[in-house]
Amino acid sequence: MQHEWQASYLDGRTAVRQDATVRLMREGLEITTGGAWTRFWPYGETRQTQGSYAGEEVRLERGGDLPETLVIAEADFLSSLREIAPHVSARFHDPAGRSRRLRLTMLAGLAVLIITGGIYLWGIPALAAVLAARVPIAWEENLGRAVVDQLAPAAQRCDEPQLQEAVATIVGRLTTAAPGTPYDVRVIVADQPTVNAFATPGGTIVLFRGLLEQTGSPEELAGVLAHELQHVFHRDTTRALIQHASTGLLLAALTGDVTGPLAYGLQSARALGQLRYSRQAEEEADADGIRLLAAAGIDPAGMIAFFDVLARHEGPLPAALGYLSTHPSSADRITRLTALAGPAPEPAGRLLAGADWPAIKRLCRR
Amino acid sequence: MEGQQAGAIQRSSFFRKPPPPRSPILAREPVPALAPAPRPRQLTFRGSGGTLFGIHVVNVLLILVTLGVYYFWGKTRVRRYIFGQTEFEGDRFAYHGTAKELLLGFAKALVVFIVPIVALTFVRDVLDVEPSIKGLAALLISVLLLIFIPVAMVGARRYRLARTSWRGIRFSFRGRAWEFIGIFLKGSLLTGLTFGLYYPFFVTQRQAFLISNSYFGNERFAFEARGRALFWRFLLAIMLTVPTLGLYWVWFLAWKRRFFWNHTRFGTAQFQSTVTGGALLGLYVVNALLLVFTLGLAWPWVKVRNIRFAFRYLTLGGPLDLTRIQQEAQVATATGEGLAGFLDTGFDLG
Repeated sequence: MQHEWQASYLDGRTAVRQDATVRLMREGLEITTGGAWTRFWPYGETRQTQGSYAGEEVRLERGGDLPETLVIAEADFLSSLREIAPHVSARFHDPAGRSRRLRLTMLAGLAVLIITGGIYLWGIPALAAVLAARVPIAWEENLGRAVVDQLAPAAQRCDEPQLQEAVATIVGRLTTAAPGTPYDVRVIVADQPTVNAFATPGGTIVLFRGLLEQTGSPEELAGVLAHELQHVFHRDTTRALIQHASTGLLLAALTGDVTGPLAYGLQSARALGQLRYSRQAEEEADADGIRLLAAAGIDPAGMIAFFDVLARHEGPLPAALGYLSTHPSSADRITRLTALAGPAPEPAGRLLAGADWPAIKRLCRR
Repeated sequence: MEGQQAGAIQRSSFFRKPPPPRSPILAREPVPALAPAPRPRQLTFRGSGGTLFGIHVVNVLLILVTLGVYYFWGKTRVRRYIFGQTEFEGDRFAYHGTAKELLLGFAKALVVFIVPIVALTFVRDVLDVEPSIKGLAALLISVLLLIFIPVAMVGARRYRLARTSWRGIRFSFRGRAWEFIGIFLKGSLLTGLTFGLYYPFFVTQRQAFLISNSYFGNERFAFEARGRALFWRFLLAIMLTVPTLGLYWVWFLAWKRRFFWNHTRFGTAQFQSTVTGGALLGLYVVNALLLVFTLGLAWPWVKVRNIRFAFRYLTLGGPLDLTRIQQEAQVATATGEGLAGFLDTGFDLG
């Protein structure tokens, strides 16, 4: 326990550092600078602003915004202070508490991992589902319209009446099996060779000619439409938007910053997270889609057969890349769907019975 | 006695060995009236990425638990640590800002800028209104952004300098927001009209405004550089963009940094920067790798790396007379009237 310490004194008015001697008394600090000029700092008016970390000098200030400052190099000053004036030890840092602080920090780290995992795995999807259900349909329709106008411009659509009628019949069969939906479902066939279909917020489904040409029967198209309809009913696009914003917020909380070069690492984390949510949504759309087919009395074998066709086009997907994909692999989807599929309905349930499906498909070619 | 003290400090550190303790008997040398520098002065960072990570982890926990409210307190803690670990000529800097000020600054920016911009974006993209109204909304968004950026830059600089001190003396920024808005609008307009060729002049004017209105106590910083010198280098960078696949821009950035620092003075002392394009590229690449492979977790170490890098290449040479410095802190409360005063009070977004 040492009573006298060497320090530097700054008077808060100039930038000149003065050597000082500090004497620890019971009620305060007695500071002597060159020329025997003495000041007294009561502990109640002194605050410590630096010195809580190893290697940091102890910095004491007294005064308002532009205080006088005292800097002592050794952390042991604080230990001596606590011994000489224990009644004010709460005002000053305790160097002995550093190992406990370290342990608390590690506990905090563990807690962060658990909470972040919980938010990512459960919290964000739940929040997105709740919020998406409250978004007005009119807003979704506006958003959907903008997407459709961009990806399937009016000039590139197949609007042959026979084709439209066939598609409308299939859609009608599916929507009657799913009553109570607030959406006005439309299917637009885009004249592009892409083998894809997607649902937009608000109930419009865009079907590309490329995918239409790959279907072997109306039941296969019904399978695709059932899947896309589920995206509409689940409001998946709106949910994805909310999830994207939420993961951004979560990452901002985790790093305290999302600007500048930090963006690299964060965007990769965010993208991985988004892909996982996407795969979950696709699995749910598959499962609910096949249930919708059953409810509509349509043979589910069509949907499964179509994925078989897709799988052959896809080629084998290395297992590791599964994490980088927006959809589960076709093999996985086929396995899951086969397990969920019920028995085939009676022939009376056949879609567009008697129609020439290959001829209807060709109607799209201009 | 000395051995015991050394032992105590060794035990209490975990992540890094502290600098050797000073002898309690030998005081620091008194600072002479005029200090000619035998070697150029440098800033030193005494902190560690590990300690910063520890602070960060606790911040994150509290941010999550308080649903984000603790964000400002966390940011303040980090700044206090970083400033307190930065040392110049034997003395550390100090940060005097509080979280409440950051919160208030954020609320100000929210009300004046962010809410209107979000509302106008909503009108432009989602609502069902006439195209003319959407067009007006889009225009207003651009205008607001063009004004917001310079105001935020000035406000943040004013706030941070006023809350920073060294040897007890506060820094300050005394430039007016409207002047910077003028520079920014004119610069943006001319840069757009000249397809980017005016940019070096714009950026030099910007730097001149920011530096020459910065003060330490009663002494101001000086910046004397002409945009023309930067212009030729800029032209060279444009021409070399395709052959070097854009990499030459890193060398341009390093040149620009050297150019700006070498023309910055404080009193009779002169700043000097020796950063090279190669070093800068190395810094960016390693940072990016660190962040990508740790999914952003290595952020505290990256921050410390950036600080150490900046300090490594910056020196302050020439005579530095600290005895003439007087405290002249600018009290950052609302003194002006109306929006100009409101904008000039200095706020930081956090």
